[in-house]
This record gives sequence, C-alpha cells and structure tokens, in this order.
Amino acid sequence: MMRVTAAVRAEWVKLRTVSGPGWLLLACAVVTITVTSAVVAVEKCSPASCAVDTTKLSLTGAQVGQAAVAVLGVMVIGGEYATGMVRITLAAVPRRSVMLAAKAAAVAVVTAAAGIVAVLGSLLAGRIFLSGNGFTAAHGFMPLSAGNGPTLRAAAGSVLYLVLVALFSLGVATAVRDTAAAIATVLGVMYVLRGVSTLVLDPTWQLRVDRVAPMNAGLAIQSTTNLSRLPIGPWAGLGVLAAWTAAALFAGWLLLRLRDA
Amino acid sequence: MIGEMAPVRGDRTAGRDGFAQLLRAEWTKFWTVRGWVVSLVLAAALTAGVALALGNAGNSGGLPAVATGPGGVAVNDDFFFLHRSLAGNGSITVRVTSLTDGAVPGQGEGSIAPQPWAKAGIIVSGGTRAGSAYAAVMTTPGHGVRMQYDFTHDSAGLPGPVSVSSPRWLRLVRSGDTVTGYDSTDGSHWSVIGSATLAGLPSTAAAGLFAASPQAYQSRTGYVLTLAIARFDAVSLQGGWSPSTWSLCEVGAPQSRLGAPCAPVSSRDIPRGIRLPSASGSGGAFTVYGSGDISPYVPIVDIFGGIIKAGSLAGLVVLIALSGAFVTSEYRRGMIRTTFAASPRRGRVILAKAIVIGAVAFAAGLAGAAVALSITGPKLRSHGWTPPIYPLVSLGTGTGLRIVLGTAVMLALAAVFILAVAVMLRRSVGAITVGIALFVGPWLVAAAASQPVGAFLLRVTPFAATAVQQGIQHYPQSSAVCLASHGCYPLAPWDGVAVLAAWTVAALAAAWFVVRRRDA
Repeated sequence: MMRVTAAVRAEWVKLRTVSGPGWLLLACAVVTITVTSAVVAVEKCSPASCAVDTTKLSLTGAQVGQAAVAVLGVMVIGGEYATGMVRITLAAVPRRSVMLAAKAAAVAVVTAAAGIVAVLGSLLAGRIFLSGNGFTAAHGFMPLSAGNGPTLRAAAGSVLYLVLVALFSLGVATAVRDTAAAIATVLGVMYVLRGVSTLVLDPTWQLRVDRVAPMNAGLAIQSTTNLSRLPIGPWAGLGVLAAWTAAALFAGWLLLRLRDA
Repeated sequence: MIGEMAPVRGDRTAGRDGFAQLLRAEWTKFWTVRGWVVSLVLAAALTAGVALALGNAGNSGGLPAVATGPGGVAVNDDFFFLHRSLAGNGSITVRVTSLTDGAVPGQGEGSIAPQPWAKAGIIVSGGTRAGSAYAAVMTTPGHGVRMQYDFTHDSAGLPGPVSVSSPRWLRLVRSGDTVTGYDSTDGSHWSVIGSATLAGLPSTAAAGLFAASPQAYQSRTGYVLTLAIARFDAVSLQGGWSPSTWSLCEVGAPQSRLGAPCAPVSSRDIPRGIRLPSASGSGGAFTVYGSGDISPYVPIVDIFGGIIKAGSLAGLVVLIALSGAFVTSEYRRGMIRTTFAASPRRGRVILAKAIVIGAVAFAAGLAGAAVALSITGPKLRSHGWTPPIYPLVSLGTGTGLRIVLGTAVMLALAAVFILAVAVMLRRSVGAITVGIALFVGPWLVAAAASQPVGAFLLRVTPFAATAVQQGIQHYPQSSAVCLASHGCYPLAPWDGVAVLAAWTVAALAAAWFVVRRRDA
C-alpha cells in the first residue's frame, strides 16, 4: 500500500513541477468557458425558436475543452516514452499496474479539479447571458442553478465526462506509446465519429453510431430536456464512454505488461 | 603523404547543394519510414472507406415529386396564375400598390414575418404546365423588384418594399424569343432590369399576373403554409392578347398532375379562411392571392458532397498526425541538427518538407476521393438518389471532378499547414491538436450552431475549404435555409480553398521566420 501512495505522490510531483500540465488544465477551463460564452451570447429566444435546452447549451464548451485534457492524458505517458523517462519511472515503480494506476489517479484528480472550474464557469456564463437573451421565466426558463436536479446531474456528469476523456487518452497513449499517433487516435475517435454520425442518413445506423461512439453517447449526460428522445439515456451514455475508457486502459495495461519499455 | 590523399570533396560536390537534392533527401526520409507510408495508405483508405460506408447506409427514402425546368433542373413551380394567351409579340404593364405576406389563417403559431422571397408580379410563360420556360418581373417583401427567368436566373431591379405611397410599375415586353423586363416608380421613367432569351418559348404564350409565397419554417410547428396578397391596377396590354377574359389557375397543383396544364382554381383548392375569388378585379384593377414558389428546387441533403467530406475529414486526421510527426520526430531525435548542418539554408528545408508532405497528401486525397466517388456514385443512384433532384456526380462530370481535385488540394494544403505549425511548435501533440481543432472543430460547431455563426466559421477558418466539396447547386433566390450541413456554403468552391491556402501561406511564412531566428 505504501508503494502505491509513493507512486501516486511521484506522479503528482511530475505533474506539478513541469509547466505543461498546468497550462493544459488552464486551457481546458478557459477554452470551455470561452466557447460556452460565445455560444450562449448569440443564442436568442425568438418566437420562431425558443425550444432550447439551456443547461446543455451552457455546457457546449466542454466539447472543445476536452481536447486539452485529452492532450494531458496523452502527454502524461507519451511524453515519458518520447524522452525515455519511462524507463526511469519503471525502474522506480517496477510494478506496471501500480505505475499506470498512479498515473490514472493523478490525471483523474487534476482533470476533475479543472473540470469543476470549467463547468461552473460555463454555467455562470449561461446564467448571465441567456436570461438577457429572452430565456426568462416568462418563456418557461428558470435561471440556471446547480441546485436544480437535472442541471446538477448534467454539471457533475460533464466533469466526469472530462475525467473519462483524459483517462481514455492515457489508455490509448499507453497502448500506442507515440504521442502523435495517440492524440490523433483519441481526437479522431471522438470528433470524427461525432461529425460522421450527422451524415449517416439511415436512421437505424445513425442511432447505432450515436449509441456507440464515445463522444456522441457521453455527451447525453448534458441533456436535461426531451430525455426520451435521446439516442441513449444520460447515465447509460456516460457508461458507454466509461466502457471505452476501461477498454483503452486495459489495452494499455496489457501491452505495458507484455512488452519492454 | 598528405598531399597524395584524394580530396574529400570530389567532383560530385557540384550540384549536391541544389534544391533537387534537398527534395530527394526529404522524400527518402518520408518513404523509408514504414509507419509513415502505412499512415498515408490509411489516410487514403479512410477517405474512401468512410465515404463508402456512408454511401452504403444511405437510402434516399423516396424523393418528393418535383417539376423539371428548362435544362433539366429540378424546380419548385407552384403559383397562382391569372392568365390570358398572348400570340406573338406584345407587352403587359401593371402597377403594384401593395404586397402582404403571412401565414394562412389557422396555420402556425403567432404571427409569421413576411417571407423575403414571397413574390407577386407579371409573367410570360411557355404554358401553364409546371416547369415551363418563363420570364417574370416581380415585387418581393425582402429583396425589392426582381427579374427572374427559367428558375435559375435572377437579377435585381428597384430596391425596397412596395406600398400605396411607393408603388412599383412593372413591364414585360415579348419580342420573338426575347422577353425584356422593366421597372419604374412613376410609370413614365422606365429602366431595363434585364433581358431573357427563352429557348422553346412557343409563339402563343400564357401571360398575366401571379402570386406565390414559399412556406415558412417554425421550429415547433414545422413548415407553415403562407399566402402572398398583391394589389395590381393600371393593367395595360398591348399586342396579340386573346380577347377572352382572364382565367385563374394554380400551376403545379395538385402534385399528382405535375405534367398537365393547370386546372382552374375551385373553392376546394383555396386554403380555409380565404374567400374566393383569389383574383378579383374590374377596370384593370386586381387582387391576386397565392401560395407556393417559383424557384430552383434545392434539396436539404448534399449526399455526394457530404459523404466525400466525411471521408476526407477522417483521412485528414491521419494526415495531420503524419504531417506533424514528419517534422517533430526530427526535433525529438535531434535529427534536425543533422538536417540543418547538411543544408544550412533552413527556409529551403522547410520548403522541401512542405513539397514532399503536400505531394503525398495530394495523392492520398486524390486516390481516396476518386475511389469513393466512382464506387459510391452508381450505388447512391440505386439507393434512390436520382435526377432531376440529384444529377449523377461522377468523375466524368464537372462537379465530380471539382470535388475530387478539390479534396486532394484541400488535404495537401492542410498537411502543409500542419507541417508549418509543427515547425513552430516543435511538439507533435500541440500541432495535431491545433490542426484538428481548426479543421474538425468548425465542422461540429457549424453543424450545431445557428446559421450566422456557422456561416462565419465557413468564411474564416481553414474548414472553409470544404466548400470545394459542395455537391448540389444553391441559388441566392432560393428560400431554402443556407446551412453547411445542407451543402450550402457562404463561399464559392475554390474561394474556400483560397482561404485555406491563405492560412497555409501565412503559417509557412511564420515557420520560416521562426526557424531562422532560433537555434535548432
């Protein structure tokens, strides 16, 4: 047990003492809040269209901010492979599952911290802008509040979403060992599947893609209205992303055990 | 002894410093790394594979019945037509004193703003069959006076809306195959809006007054039937007009009788709440009501362009990683110092790398898109994507050739852009993330955001280049909503590529500046 604590502390020191992770976490929060602000600032409640899920709209920025934590997840292990540092790490922590678990724990904690800031900042931006754009009580919209059950679920779920994305990236990078290949794989699987699904014309196939693709399914956690019309339920969707993450971490762990560093 | 040693620098030194040698060196670096060649093949395979998968899974689900206009284009041709026959040459002059447009009573929620492209005016048509050749001069709520002919042609006349205090005089003159449109604010000072030569206009034409209003879209209720109401007076006819009285019919209705001349309007055809007659008049004054539209038919799914776009963006993600790694692996391993020692003029090294990565990305894009289009084209046809709404797009058509070539150019420019970013950042992760954010990010945002935001992104981001993959023709005079997800782009196809080219040139210039100033 002592060894695990020491390994986690070692990873924490590594994260804390180089500038990269700090900048990436800051980027995640800033990008998420900025993108959200831009989106909610232009969204107007007009007579023709006022049927908007304001909570989901106010969490839009996470779709872009996730790229920063994906980079973080990749760099935590990929950066070590690039510099050869991984051999020192493994000399210090020979049990590879402990090393990977320690990295995962450190990444999860710092991502959750940045995610909480990003999500709360986004909701605040939504609360400020949307009521000024006509999304008022007169049209059936309450000001956004984390005290509201579905909004709280969407907010907490978005933080979990960001953590799962970072861990997915860690798993992929552990498996492929190359930062370029890892980040392209992660962002490709997330973004390209998301974009492609909008072009699938066969409704059956579109439903299948939306239920299986990590970003499409995972973002269901952000919805608070018309839940019955979602391709997949909020928690089930986050579960799909968690399954991708688990699979990536398992593949990474397996390959880490099977091959030399 | 030393004097007898062979010179280190032999005869072959001359020319070794040339750009061709540098290019060859960079090419050798590329093709001898197996992972990179595999990535390149993967990029081409993904471009083709994603497009093929999407094409395979996409059934049109039955296209709507549409009329076919001159030249075989799919058209909306549905309007209320108060007409007489005009034999040979002649002219019609009217004054329009009002044009109002709104929801048909009982339809939609709340008040509906006038449709900018609702229209009422005068028309000379080859017949009352939907899709007949025509020329018309009209007033509109949002776009002033227009002259339009044969659906695809549109030119502007006097600006501003029409009212009793600011009426519009309209005139059409037929002479042989040529119809000329005029407008005026006072009935004495006329200006020509345009002139149309209508191939196949029969000597006896149907001509008169018309009104039409395209359906409005409400997010909650869907499409809402709207009605334009126009008041005309001072109707004056010259030339070979038939002495019979005016007759009223709705062209293009019902849908099942698209090929037949239009049937007289009966009370059954009039939307509830509107009293007959929908055209009434005496002493040269008329009120004409009408729903429908006279415009090119623009489908909301750009099937050919869309699947190639999806495929190429999937391939692009791989090319972005490849292009980033092509540079950053040299920095990571210190190889870059050897490269710069061998070729101290760093700008040329960057240029040589750019040419190599651009050429291979072009080849991957060309192969992937060409394979995708030539296999998917016939497949889509059998899945119900048929003319006239979806003319076949293949390598043999101008559109298909533009899509395939444009995709290859887009991927080449994007790869060079990422290369330049990677030279500046020296880190593959940063370069790849920037690349994906700039290309794929706008795709997702434009699909989800409101129309002005999407249009802005499609003008300024590198993603603008996807305009070159537009597979259906859009027209400004169409009332269809212009969304990128519907294959409508704010920029012309090659203008979009020019935007990406500008990004690429700027990034190359910045990379050149940076790489000269800093140590390797």
